[in-house]
Amino acid sequence: MSRGGGIALGLAAGAAAGAAAIAAAGSEDPGAPAPRRALAAPAAAALAIPPPRRLSDGPDVTRWAHLRRPARARAEPGGGRVVARVARLTPEGTVTALPVTGRRIDRRGRLWLQVTLPELPNGTSGWLPRRALGAYEISRERLIVDLAARRLTLLRRGRAVMRAPVGVGQDRWPTPRGTFLVRNRLERYASPQYGPVAFGTSARSPTLTDWPAGGFIGIHGTDRPDLVPGAVSHGCIRLRNPDILRLARLMPVGTPVEIR
Amino acid sequence: MSLERLDRLDVDGALAEACDGLTRAGFIVAAGAALAGLAAARPAVAEAAIPRSDQDVLNYALVLEYLQAAFYTEAERANGLSGRPAKAARVVGAVERAHVKAFRELLGRKAVGRPHFDFQGVTESSKPFLKTAVAFEDLAVAAYKGQARLVRSKAVLASALGIHTVEARHAAWMRYLNGNTPAADAFDLPRNRREINGIVASTEFISDRPRSTSRRRPRYTG
Repeated sequence: MSRGGGIALGLAAGAAAGAAAIAAAGSEDPGAPAPRRALAAPAAAALAIPPPRRLSDGPDVTRWAHLRRPARARAEPGGGRVVARVARLTPEGTVTALPVTGRRIDRRGRLWLQVTLPELPNGTSGWLPRRALGAYEISRERLIVDLAARRLTLLRRGRAVMRAPVGVGQDRWPTPRGTFLVRNRLERYASPQYGPVAFGTSARSPTLTDWPAGGFIGIHGTDRPDLVPGAVSHGCIRLRNPDILRLARLMPVGTPVEIR
Repeated sequence: MSLERLDRLDVDGALAEACDGLTRAGFIVAAGAALAGLAAARPAVAEAAIPRSDQDVLNYALVLEYLQAAFYTEAERANGLSGRPAKAARVVGAVERAHVKAFRELLGRKAVGRPHFDFQGVTESSKPFLKTAVAFEDLAVAAYKGQARLVRSKAVLASALGIHTVEARHAAWMRYLNGNTPAADAFDLPRNRREINGIVASTEFISDRPRSTSRRRPRYTG
């Protein structure tokens, strides 16, 4: 037998003896000798670690991301015509937020994300390279605006948490229908006709195309609460001031808005 | 964790670059504003049951747990992984979220808030995901080890040890999936907080939250 083989056999024998000793120590044989020294009881743990739980994301979750840099949205992942040039900042100076609706890897192995763009016609989508977008964000809220009923409902995880009457666009300046995103929040400005808080959305007026700053549709308070509910605005969604303040406590930026 | 091995794991070189600084240039921490903010957010008043210094250690561990939980959670949500990496992300993510929950419950109002993370797309395909996961898990193991000598409460130490070994199992799992030897070294070295902060900051995975509020006068259609 070689020297190496002898060492291996010796180790195997030692391991078998060790395993037997461990097994004997773990037995409850009343004839086994009592250990001379008992180990100290382990300290109680300060943390109560709960059992691991899987993600509970359901169909009510919306994924979106901020734009990292100005980018050209393409008709196809990896190329195609330029659908729109997307600015990093909104007219209000906040970072552009875009809902992410698709994901694809191009022929060169680069990742592209499909986003809904803040462009006319409303609902235009395009593809951006993944690197143009920042971290994924998640929204569990959803705002529904019912134009006929002139009422909004805020849902969280699919359950209504707030309802309020609203003012909507007049017939000649209609509030556009579709699914959009709350992309910023303005407050502490001096403009009573917009109330104390205003949310900017990615929806654009299809009629007021020459409106300053692009004709975006907002959700805001008012200095004429007597006109709510009603078809009274240039397309924006107006709430009475107590209602917009309540909405501001409940609705984060990134919430999808469904106008129907 | 040897520097040579870290170099092989690191996709963009960010982690290795930081480690280079540790050994060759005396390490100058250029930690980002987010990490500095976290340090400032440490609890000001000691809890009766936990020494103040231990709360500090717990909050530091909580930040690392936030980082890991966010990483695996995004990987699962992005749905770009498949097979064994996808399963590992799902299982490890659930464990890291459980760690976060436990730390937050113990610290209560003293718990630091969750930073804003931007993983820059490394969660969405297997190769960069696994390389980053290996680096994160090795880092977590070294970080827990580095804090052990600072913990005063036996109850906190017992908890930290329980998590430390779980992180080591995660590290071995991710190493195996990434094609690295799961346990190559005879002895693991600790890393202190300054080293860990510098390495995490160098990745730029902790970022400022993009601005989404303003005081400008609205110019919506009204």
